[in-house]
Amino acid sequence: MKAGFEMVQGALDTIQPHEPWDYTSVGFPAAPRFNPFLKPIMEHNELSEWVEQITKQLVEDLPETAASDILQHSETQSDQDQSRGLLFEFLFSGDFRPRKATRRNNFDTVAGNELQWSNEPRVNVSDQGRNCKGLSRVDENGLTLITLLLECAVAVSVDNLGEAHRMLLELTQMSSPYGLSCAERAVAYFAKAMSSRVINSWLGICSPLVDYKSIHGAFQVFNNISPFIKFAHFTSNQAILEAFHRRDRVHILDLDIMQGLQWPALFHILATRMEGPPHVRMTGMGTSMEILVETGKQLANFAKRLGMSFEFYPIARKFAEIDALTVQVRHGETLAVHWLQHSMYDATGPDWKTMRLLKELSPTIITLVEQDISHGGSFLDRFVGSLHYYSTLFDSLGVNLPVDDPIRHRVEHWLLYREINNILAIGGPARSGEDKYRHWRIELAKNCIVQVPMSANSMAQAQLILNMFPPAYGYSLVQGDGTLRLGWKDTSLYTASAWTSSNIAPPK
Amino acid sequence: MDTTLFTPQESPTFFHCIEQTNDHAATMDMQSNNNQSHTSTSRSSDSTDHHLQQLPSHASGKWASRLLKECARAISDKDSTKIHHLLWMLNELASPYGDCDQKLASYFLQALFCKATDSGLRCHRTLSSVAEKSSTFDSARKLILKFQEVSPWMNFGHVASNGAILEALDGDTKLHIIDISNTLCTQWPTLLESLATRNDETPHLKLTVVVIASTVSSVMKEVGQRMEKFARLMGVPFEFNVISGLKHLGELTNEMLGVQEDEAVAVNCIGGLRRVEVQERAGVIRLFQSLRPRVVTIVEEEADFSSSKDDFVKCFDECLRFYTLYFEMLEESFFPTSNDRLMLERECSKSIVRVLACDDENSDQGECERRERGRQWCERLKEAFSPSGFSDDVVDDVKALLKRYRAGWGVVPPQGDDHKSAGIYLTWKEVSVVWASAWKPSKA
Repeated sequence: MKAGFEMVQGALDTIQPHEPWDYTSVGFPAAPRFNPFLKPIMEHNELSEWVEQITKQLVEDLPETAASDILQHSETQSDQDQSRGLLFEFLFSGDFRPRKATRRNNFDTVAGNELQWSNEPRVNVSDQGRNCKGLSRVDENGLTLITLLLECAVAVSVDNLGEAHRMLLELTQMSSPYGLSCAERAVAYFAKAMSSRVINSWLGICSPLVDYKSIHGAFQVFNNISPFIKFAHFTSNQAILEAFHRRDRVHILDLDIMQGLQWPALFHILATRMEGPPHVRMTGMGTSMEILVETGKQLANFAKRLGMSFEFYPIARKFAEIDALTVQVRHGETLAVHWLQHSMYDATGPDWKTMRLLKELSPTIITLVEQDISHGGSFLDRFVGSLHYYSTLFDSLGVNLPVDDPIRHRVEHWLLYREINNILAIGGPARSGEDKYRHWRIELAKNCIVQVPMSANSMAQAQLILNMFPPAYGYSLVQGDGTLRLGWKDTSLYTASAWTSSNIAPPK
Repeated sequence: MDTTLFTPQESPTFFHCIEQTNDHAATMDMQSNNNQSHTSTSRSSDSTDHHLQQLPSHASGKWASRLLKECARAISDKDSTKIHHLLWMLNELASPYGDCDQKLASYFLQALFCKATDSGLRCHRTLSSVAEKSSTFDSARKLILKFQEVSPWMNFGHVASNGAILEALDGDTKLHIIDISNTLCTQWPTLLESLATRNDETPHLKLTVVVIASTVSSVMKEVGQRMEKFARLMGVPFEFNVISGLKHLGELTNEMLGVQEDEAVAVNCIGGLRRVEVQERAGVIRLFQSLRPRVVTIVEEEADFSSSKDDFVKCFDECLRFYTLYFEMLEESFFPTSNDRLMLERECSKSIVRVLACDDENSDQGECERRERGRQWCERLKEAFSPSGFSDDVVDDVKALLKRYRAGWGVVPPQGDDHKSAGIYLTWKEVSVVWASAWKPSKA
């Protein structure tokens, strides 16, 4: 049945008519070019530090306590208003007023002060630590861009789509993902993610359309150039290994196995352990049967070479959508459930169902690796959190890789941008309108699932991984609360933890 | 050691369930899949929708072209459901920072979205004003020079035109070139050099540049200074004038241009004619005629966005065809993470919005982007001019130019009848992309 074009027109009410932005009428006083308050930050010229500065009150990222704990307590409407309020205060308070006047100034054509794209393809790579540090003018540009970005986010958060759309048009023209500064690169992707959201908002559709092949490819590349995934793999493997101590029939359920990069290392250790290898059954879940079958074959071949008895079961469904019968836990089998969380797509389905099934399965060990970003909350909450999170990730990549590196671009565009896009999207990261748990560790604890502290061996594994990725000084590895957290500088990015069902005897 | 395969239900490669959000529930004519398994796909009663869900995963190329054309058709048919569906798909898959398909999807999606929401003019104005604000002489010039370094797209026209001009004005001592182009005078240093190194006495050159709307006047000032300096170095007596602030080219007069009786005039128009509103093109050609030039050199990109301007789908298809070529050419000419290429692509996005989503009636002057093919320009020009062709020497120069670039480029002389198809073509992978021509006044 064809709907009339009038329906399309009708939906246009959400798009406000355009009014030209009249700088003179705004009435902000001329602002100093350099805000002395921010000077120390700009000297370091790191995007994440600057973002952290302004979002400190919103994210409250303290080194010892989990930010999650604090955020978890602030789920009420008034707290959403609070984060919005703080953001408004930042944008409109006296200290940060430069934005409009500075924007103007940045377009002057006085030599050296123009809005200059970096047309220099070859950066002096030998000066490694400086790859993300450009000239101070580029910082200023970055500062302007971030401010504009925040303004856009505010417009989007109040559904002022017309204004947001116009501002985003400007912002996307002003920022480049190939830019010298990490700020500019991050802004380019955040702006595009918001543009995408504006269009979906107008269309009234929240579902994603996912290109799994490209995403998985980028994920593999990310695994190669950055320690976070290996950290997740090796610390989890260690916890699983410990749980499998003296068990000879084991079953690993990987909630999103992808190419199964994690498992060969574990198989190797299991195959060579003192008491001999166990019989290993693996259930791999994922998005495409074709990919799962291929993964299964690879793992089976590997197990065969190790002389280890192995079975593989692919399930091309989301975990929340299946039941315990599908998993077919056998009597006498030790079950490990592994979950490396990400935001590339919704791998598991509705959270409450996932929890229910986990409890029903009562695994001996659940290894959970979470991104230290809240998937729940209002748009603005997610925006601020993800800006903080991903700007940190961009910084960590920028230190090691040259500005024009196509591999870095591949990871930034095909992986990080995907995640940013999802987190900011209408319908939240699950792209279904479902409200996700903010932090799984909290939820697991609430559901009487007992935490198993990560052992010293896990910590040792993590340390080994970090040594593979110089400069180690940038990364921060923290053990606390029974968890292991890996981050960049002061920001924790991934947290690994392990859990057991309370009605199972804990592993020795 | 066996791999025992458990065989659950098959699922498609991508998950595609469309759900309604609270706000726009009423407008959607699609089923919600809230309670079904995620592997279901939405069924629409519109049978043409069905094949869209069978679209292969984006591993296979050219998905962008398919989706974009479908969407253009849907907009033309005013099929609201389909429009929404396709815009959604495009929105999900597009990115201006990805591969060619994704880029095309992104920029054309922008135009389609503007068309569907009637916001083309606003969008174009915003894009133009941002481009102006952030454009400086340095950045614009660097961009053009870089482009010329990796691709003959622009240089082709320069070499051909310079050759024709030099030959036509050979022997004259007072030259006056009227330049209506978009290449920031990067054409002229080579010409100045030729003038300087000729055996006979170096003529006096007056260069009058007519600024087309979007070039900022501060940029032209710098350009002028550099040209004068260069001419001094070459030892060529030189005069540089800029005419700006014109509402449209038709306003030009002999007096404004300062054409003197004893000057040998050449009119050089590279990428300039397409900026003129379609209905005024005849007038501009008559204007050229009134200047009594010895030679007129016209260079334009080979695409037709004007004869189909009342047929949205046809215009869209042609626009897509041309920009696909252009984007592919850019991708093969620049390195993968090039900012310069990104800038060039963004310039295209403005044109695309302009052609597809803006009505000509309400538009500002000098921003028309309705290209015509060589054949079509010939039809117009033959009223006042006859083709003077390019000498073998000039064609040789062009061929030598192409040798400096990667394989894939070629020159093709016009086929068939003289009048209808004068000029030469630059080809990229055997498709004509740029047309260059030289004209002399026809016997009155």
